[in-house]
Amino acid sequence: MIKQDLTVLEERSIFVLREAKQKFGKVAALWSMGKDSTTMLALARKAFLGKVPFPVIHIDNSIDFPETYEFRQDLAKKWNLDLIVAPSEIKPDLVGSACCGKNKPETLKKVMDEYGFDALIVSIRRDEHGIRAKERYMSPRDKKFRWNYKDQPAELWDDYSSKLDVGGHVRVHPLLDWNEIDIWNYVKRERIPVNPLYFSRNGYRYRSLGCTHCTIHIKSNARTVENIISELETTKIEERSGRSMDKEREYVMQRLRSLGYM
Amino acid sequence: MIVKTISLLGHKDHGKSTLIGSLLMHTGSATQVRIKEAEAYSKKLHKDFEPAFILDSFAEEREQEMTYDTTRAEIKYKDLAFAFIDVPGHEELIKNMISGASYGEIAVLLVSAKADEGIRDQTKRHLFIARMLGIESLVVAVNKMDLVGYDKKRFDMIKDGLSGFIEKIGFEKTMVSFVPVSAYKGENLVKRSRFMNWYKGKTLIDLIYSGTKKQSGNKTGALRIIVQGFLEGQRDFAVGRVVKGNLSLTGGFCISPGNLPVKIKSIIVKGKKVKKAIIGENVALQFDKKMGSDLRGSVISNKGDCPEARAKVRATIFITKKLDKNSSIRFNGSDIQIKKMSVAEYIDPTTGTRSTNGKMELLSAISADLILSKQIPAEKFDETRELGRFVLYSDGAFAGIGTITGY
Ligand SMILES: Nc1nc2c(ncn2[C@@H]2O[C@H](COP(=O)(O)OP(=O)(O)OP(=O)(O)O)[C@@H](O)[C@H]2O)c(=O)[nH]1
Ligand SMILES: [Mg+2]
Repeated sequence: MIKQDLTVLEERSIFVLREAKQKFGKVAALWSMGKDSTTMLALARKAFLGKVPFPVIHIDNSIDFPETYEFRQDLAKKWNLDLIVAPSEIKPDLVGSACCGKNKPETLKKVMDEYGFDALIVSIRRDEHGIRAKERYMSPRDKKFRWNYKDQPAELWDDYSSKLDVGGHVRVHPLLDWNEIDIWNYVKRERIPVNPLYFSRNGYRYRSLGCTHCTIHIKSNARTVENIISELETTKIEERSGRSMDKEREYVMQRLRSLGYM
Repeated sequence: MIVKTISLLGHKDHGKSTLIGSLLMHTGSATQVRIKEAEAYSKKLHKDFEPAFILDSFAEEREQEMTYDTTRAEIKYKDLAFAFIDVPGHEELIKNMISGASYGEIAVLLVSAKADEGIRDQTKRHLFIARMLGIESLVVAVNKMDLVGYDKKRFDMIKDGLSGFIEKIGFEKTMVSFVPVSAYKGENLVKRSRFMNWYKGKTLIDLIYSGTKKQSGNKTGALRIIVQGFLEGQRDFAVGRVVKGNLSLTGGFCISPGNLPVKIKSIIVKGKKVKKAIIGENVALQFDKKMGSDLRGSVISNKGDCPEARAKVRATIFITKKLDKNSSIRFNGSDIQIKKMSVAEYIDPTTGTRSTNGKMELLSAISADLILSKQIPAEKFDETRELGRFVLYSDGAFAGIGTITGY
């Protein structure tokens, strides 16, 4: 895994976050309490003089791990976050990707409509998946949340798309360039608080956090951020290998993303 | 680790995605999951293993065997990391090609040596665009040598056929190198090929390595900060980025357009008050007073050294969509109407030839004088890249790119 220059990454992310605030009237961010979206919030605090200037949305299906709820409460207080909890009901007949592909986007749609957000910051990274690697820093979604991946806007020279469909919104991806190991190096350098689920307990830890239904832990003895970094330096296993939806069927990620999955 | 970005260039099917896929495999940079997945889809589509599928991740891209949109993949080499940018070769996808290539610091052009492929219009168009984007260092990989019996004559033919054009459009000879490869078989990519002993030069990856060292970095010079706007509700607090020179609190400053004098009370970088900021840094600047006018797209410089604001510029423009009455340029975040455009020269990007009469054609270029609805703080592209370039929009849709060559 390639370690990049953190300062270069940081500058690009700050620029993208500030652009989003300049270009769009109502901006919000998704916060899953995972390492990526928490790092994004740390970057936003740097970009906007110490405070996160947009609401953060947690799509809460009430089956997240208890540690996650505790973490949410603590950090929201510490960083003075404007937290929107969007309850999402788990329908028992939907499992795996059908669940992720339907429940979460539908709940998100409701929140977006209710508040009228026109930009949504999502902390995806290119190295997570071949389909995510095809994303832009800013990417329009129509009112049904669809991603027109066959005709993405041009993006060059620090000029990002600002085209808004009626009822649609723009996805903002400030962490697109970061690799998993960069996130951890940054967490270490900046002492960013992280969800305790990432650390090993009884020989296992989570590498990527979804909800309890779909996330499987990996064998690991990494109990500190430093341990995680050295683990990543040698691993050949993909980050999302613990997510069941990625493995199910062909092009499931493409289908999910084109329909509005985050 | 320092990451150098490398844009691929070349006609459709000449092997761009295959080359990156192959390099990932030969340097052990692709994860097993990605390789296995590419393998499974090759099999499913009844094909031998296609390294291109490591990059081409959309179902459509694999089924139709062409790249639709740009993506990236990274490789570690010696003390550097290379981020390869794959782009589509298809003419209709030039918008995506430009988007990808714009992030490249150097370029690798693929030309297939196969008898019915060779140098094509699109090959040359991509080179022309790369030059416009400011790419100076170029490696030409003559590909699919396995299909022509690793014949030196075929390599020489393509090299000779392209060298003149490459120089004509402004690449310096010392910044360009040629290498015969088979992207598919991995010949001359990371290891010297035993089928091409007649080739005495470096492998592709070593040429890329030395190419990135040749590329000149940011030129130093007078301070230029491009303003993104104000912090929400604070008209005495602007955010922006230093694109040239260094910022320190001493002396006065000015804002262009308008040549407005301004005092900066404090500089904040990444949440901390500092005395100085350097090129590449995003800054927040506190002025001594609230500003009346909107500052998005304005430039802050040291007093007496402001770029002149102009409503007329001469630019080279590459056009991808018909320009209608409602055309505009996007210049550092603000949209400015084009009131009048008069063409000085028509440039054929497939030959580099300029002529004073001709027709404005798509996927072609012009040199033109633009009269704008508003003054912009413009400089020549060669002086300050960020102040010498714009994106063209027609009827709200991407219509091309421009670089400023004069006033
Ligand atoms: N025999 C041989 N075939 C090659 C070589 N390089 C690429 N190919 C084949 O050429 C075809 C096109 O290759 P791609 O890598 O998809 O071409 P591309 O330049 O990415 O094309 P676009 O994405 O459409 O612009 C594939 O079937 C490859 O297997 C080579 O060196 N030798
Ligand atoms: Mg391709």
